[in-house]
Amino acid sequence: MAFRNGQKVEIYRRSQDESWEPYMDDYIGLHGIITDPDAVKNDPEALVEVSLDEKGTHRFPQDCLREMH
Amino acid sequence: MTEPTCCVKTLEVRLNNMLDAGIFESPRSRQQVLEITERLKDISRGLAEEDHLTAIMKRADFLASKGESPECRDAGKAIISEIETHLEIFLSHIQTHACPSGDCAMLTLAPCQMACPAGIDIPSYLTLAGQGRYAEAIDVIREDNPFPWVCGLVCTHPCEFMCVRARMDAPVAIMDMKGIVAEKAMSAREYRNPVPRPDNGHKICVIGAGPGGLTAAYYLALKGYRVTVIEALPVSGGMMMVGIPRYRLPREVIDREVAMIEDLGVEFRYNTRLGKDITLEALAREGFEVYLLAIGAHGSYKLMIPGEDDFPQVVPAVAFLQRVALGDHRPPGRRVAVIGGGNVAIDAARTSLRLGCEEVTILYRRTHDQMPASHEEIVEAEEEGIQFSFLTIPKEIRGENGRLTEIVCMRAELSEPDASGQRRPVPVPGSDYAMAVDTVIPAIGQEVDSRGLEGFADMSWTRRNTIQANTISMQTHQAKVFAVGDAVTGPATVVEAISGGKKAARAIHRYFEGFSQPKFPPVPTRRRRMEFFQMPGSLKSDLKRVAMPLLGDDRRRITFQQVRLGLNDIQAQHESRRCLRCDVCIRCGRCVEICRDKMGIGALQLGYMDFDRPGATDLKITAERCIGCGACATNCPTGAMQMKDQGGMRVLSLCGTELNRLKLEYCETCGAIIGPARYHDFITRRIKEISPQMANRRVCLDCARMETGRRHAEIAPPGQA
Repeated sequence: MAFRNGQKVEIYRRSQDESWEPYMDDYIGLHGIITDPDAVKNDPEALVEVSLDEKGTHRFPQDCLREMH
Repeated sequence: MTEPTCCVKTLEVRLNNMLDAGIFESPRSRQQVLEITERLKDISRGLAEEDHLTAIMKRADFLASKGESPECRDAGKAIISEIETHLEIFLSHIQTHACPSGDCAMLTLAPCQMACPAGIDIPSYLTLAGQGRYAEAIDVIREDNPFPWVCGLVCTHPCEFMCVRARMDAPVAIMDMKGIVAEKAMSAREYRNPVPRPDNGHKICVIGAGPGGLTAAYYLALKGYRVTVIEALPVSGGMMMVGIPRYRLPREVIDREVAMIEDLGVEFRYNTRLGKDITLEALAREGFEVYLLAIGAHGSYKLMIPGEDDFPQVVPAVAFLQRVALGDHRPPGRRVAVIGGGNVAIDAARTSLRLGCEEVTILYRRTHDQMPASHEEIVEAEEEGIQFSFLTIPKEIRGENGRLTEIVCMRAELSEPDASGQRRPVPVPGSDYAMAVDTVIPAIGQEVDSRGLEGFADMSWTRRNTIQANTISMQTHQAKVFAVGDAVTGPATVVEAISGGKKAARAIHRYFEGFSQPKFPPVPTRRRRMEFFQMPGSLKSDLKRVAMPLLGDDRRRITFQQVRLGLNDIQAQHESRRCLRCDVCIRCGRCVEICRDKMGIGALQLGYMDFDRPGATDLKITAERCIGCGACATNCPTGAMQMKDQGGMRVLSLCGTELNRLKLEYCETCGAIIGPARYHDFITRRIKEISPQMANRRVCLDCARMETGRRHAEIAPPGQA
């Protein structure tokens, strides 16, 4: 799905994408806010920037993210 | 209480438990362990020096070799092993005054600092700016970011998304505050470089003068490296210079900040494209030992529709913005269609308008609320008269005699929500229509232009056509080659590139020093621990975010003058006082819980504490309910909540914000402070069953006990009357 600025999301699973790095395993289950979505193409393959609660800002593949309601 | 995950805290807790269990029997061993725990406590409170670790290891070594029992010797070995295994985290606590896991309360960083990709100590510079100490504020910022002025104007400010004040009303204007700090410091000639270390003789070549490359050049130059930057364009700044229009980011701002980097001795070679104007072999002959690739993402995605390649009036947004930035101010046409919904599309449209185009329309395939461009940019574009055509899909570009005349589009409608809840644009059959335009500017995305990098044969590329690099060390698969910025992340933000540049500089330094590369992202450094602004809670609540003054609409349509005019001193003071000082109040919630659950008062309504479920915050309610017992302050782990008796009053404050002020009362017998009347009433209600005769008197607990004791003594036991 296309994420938008300011949406609250959860890193709910490990991604199989090549951009997933081992240190990111520690972030599974954390919540954060989309701070820079795929800004142009609404491309599901694009990496999106997420600020995690207390754990910094990182770019993640979208398949590990889900919106929090 | 949850178990700590921080290795410093865990070791401290473990040793204290062993002390309590009596494992260290001999006084000497016990003393050694006590000294170790004291030093661990210093580390976890940010009070340690580097020799603390040496002292701990010395004592642990004593326990391991001369301990009186196997348990004692095992404990010594375990301490040594723990420190050796997690040396980096122990050192990080000492050097950065930050605890990565947040278990060490005094070293927990504010969410804004954690969110900043560059790791700027935001609460400290906000406080300094609020005090008018701009020169110190700029020094704090430049410890972590060599482009404060640029970021004060165009940062995507993830810090503000995480700002806790946003859970009360609106985030602190952190970006705008950075802008005024840089402007004031530069204007007063107080914008200074730190003193670099002596020349170490190592030569590094940075390829690309964008924010990532320049940031790395800055930090490497400070460490004494000889840095040369080669740049294909005739100017520095990369996308900052040729991708962001001047009405958002004046050229002087970039030039000034780049000049500061040049002042450190960094050499710049412009108009030098790798692979065309200079070869990798030639660079190697010059003696460069390490290369940092920071080439950005200056290529453009194509629309992939008929006619796109047939007319010179189809100009990709990146090329168009670059052309204008380099001085070509001819209008691209009279009627311009910009395709896309991101910030680049908005930039291209607003730039076209300023160049004199009569009609500028943004065509976007989705809806207004789905536009990925920043809200402020969209609003400003609308104010300037940019037209928007939503749910519009370009289908074909047509023209006559080699000139573009129209773009054929289809209307779209949103589909029913799919499994993920998303509604997608679906073309409406038969809805084709032609729109008369003479210029089309596609702005649907950028990609890395890899020409010239063929010489880096061992380097890998991702399926997104970006350079494969470890995002912590920024190392590529080719030895001695690092990469940063959009070339690694794909089109991203200025501050992310700056973050990458910092990480690359650190990794390159570690490479030369022979250290292994880190496995976890760097923890930001706490630069200062500033005093609080003192103010009443009612004022803190009522301070609204300052509105950025903007250039008038008419001038915006016809000039490239900076639109956002910047804050003034008064506004900066006002805004800095809105900060909740989350570098000190770590929002653990103990104060709220104790007041509500243990004392049964409920005088603290601080709904901003919870990230997932923020509730209402009312800083004024405390004055109505608080009894001045001080349970909240006593249990605060960081000293954020404080209660003081001063001038006959008991004052409760949270990070300098006065929540309650009550008149003190004094013991009618001995004159000692007995607290405010509300507190006394609360205690009296509690003890009236035990000591009814004291209920209506203002006496301290000691005097009450003495009085009760005396009365008991006067009562003769039965049978002795």
